[in-house]
Amino acid sequence: MTAIQVRGLGKSYGGFPAVRDVSFEVSQGEIFALLGRNGSGKTTTVELLTGLRRPDAGTVRVHGLDPVADRAAVRQRTGVMLQEAGFFPDLTVAQTVDTWGGFTAAPRPGGEALELAGLSAKAGTRVRQLSGGEKRRLDLALALLGRPDVLFLDEPTTGMDPEGRRDTWQVIRELAGRGTTVLLTTHYLEEAQRLASSLAVMDAGRIVASGGMAETLAARGGRVAFRLPDGVDPESLPLPVTREGDLAVCRADDPDLAAQTLLTWAAGRGLRLAGLEVRAATLEDLFLDLPGSVR
Amino acid sequence: MTLAAAYNLGTRLFWRDKAMLFASVVTPVGLAVGMPVLMRNVTSEGVTAATEIFQGTLAILLSITTFMNIAVALTGRRDQLVLKRLRTSRLTDAQILAGQIASTVTQTVALVALSTVAVRVLADVPFPPDPVLYAAAVVLGSAVMAVLGAAYTAAIPRAELAAAYTMPVFLLAAVGAGAMPIPLPGWAGTLLGLLPTSAVVDAVARGDVLAPALNLAAWGAAGLVALRWFRWEPRR
Repeated sequence: MTAIQVRGLGKSYGGFPAVRDVSFEVSQGEIFALLGRNGSGKTTTVELLTGLRRPDAGTVRVHGLDPVADRAAVRQRTGVMLQEAGFFPDLTVAQTVDTWGGFTAAPRPGGEALELAGLSAKAGTRVRQLSGGEKRRLDLALALLGRPDVLFLDEPTTGMDPEGRRDTWQVIRELAGRGTTVLLTTHYLEEAQRLASSLAVMDAGRIVASGGMAETLAARGGRVAFRLPDGVDPESLPLPVTREGDLAVCRADDPDLAAQTLLTWAAGRGLRLAGLEVRAATLEDLFLDLPGSVR
Repeated sequence: MTLAAAYNLGTRLFWRDKAMLFASVVTPVGLAVGMPVLMRNVTSEGVTAATEIFQGTLAILLSITTFMNIAVALTGRRDQLVLKRLRTSRLTDAQILAGQIASTVTQTVALVALSTVAVRVLADVPFPPDPVLYAAAVVLGSAVMAVLGAAYTAAIPRAELAAAYTMPVFLLAAVGAGAMPIPLPGWAGTLLGLLPTSAVVDAVARGDVLAPALNLAAWGAAGLVALRWFRWEPRR
């Protein structure tokens, strides 16, 4: 079942197109990652999906509802963690969660939300005394208060330490395992690769790559890298390579096969391929291949 | 239920902000009580003068406790991205604003009631002859000023300028209502008489009903229309 459906979405600010012709679908219970550099249009897209902004073009449906026109109804089922939103600095963590419970239909008990976000120990702390990572956990607790079916997370782990990041990934995985649909933006490629089953990569307001995580990466092929033995002309290798510093890099649809070919060739000549590294495509490769990237 | 939650939030934050309480409670109540007490004791027509000045100071309460206070609160929450977060909750935009407006009106009405009793005790200003009209004028007047104050935030570029931007409104309201005895040319008096604060003072001081009611209805409608341009986030 489709939880989020986006068709031809567009939004401009004073003539600058922030989001252009964006379309994708997210199924119920899926974790979908929206990737892109800063300024690529991820946050604007999230703000359009959550009904905080009105699109100039295209449509958004969350469980069949228009998030602008039916915002109150959509909110019954969605949790939103904005990239940046204010707290009341003088309220404690527990008071903040209680206050927010008043704006939420059938909220979780405050303690449960804090437990989920790993913030129970800070319940009595004033918000102004929290670290950046702890504020992010509080953001998450508030987003989870209404037991949402659909969760929008705009850079959920920015500012968190590695432990916080792992905890948050765990929470997101568990929620998705229980059927919650999660749309998250991130520029941590590892985060997307570990969590998401499908993705869209945005660049300059457009989607430049999208699909299932596994297929998208498989379609990029992989690479075999090694230090070129002394006195070997790259032209004499059985497969074409490019030079990256002192490394020779061979890009191939099937990097395992390419590595075998290269090793067989080297063995036949009594050569050693030092520092051999075989790897399937990562999101980083995909990212670095975007137009305008500096390799 | 959700409107009540927005109302409670506005009220909770109002009474927590000690620094703001000085500006939005101590100053206007001090003026509204202090000036009549002063008049009572320094002029020969003491009670009459004290009554007149107290009725005029209602314009001060409305322009500070209602108008300035809501403008400062909403621009502050706008710039701290609290309004943006509220919009991710179940509250509709209308509920967020209505809760804040209702909360601000409650504060104002409570302070007017307090001042009314205080000047009765301290300056012998008689209780209003028509309490229903008095109450209606104060409640409607502060509701209209709260709507206008909320709409006015669209013109305030940054939160730290909110109080400064509401200063002219306060001065015009106070002069127009006679709380600041400044000699005015006739046309200026007529113009200032059109302010909603002047309408409230007219109703309270002279027992007028129709003209103040029409005035407040017109300003209230204008304010509600102007809320179309309300900004929920700071300018980027």
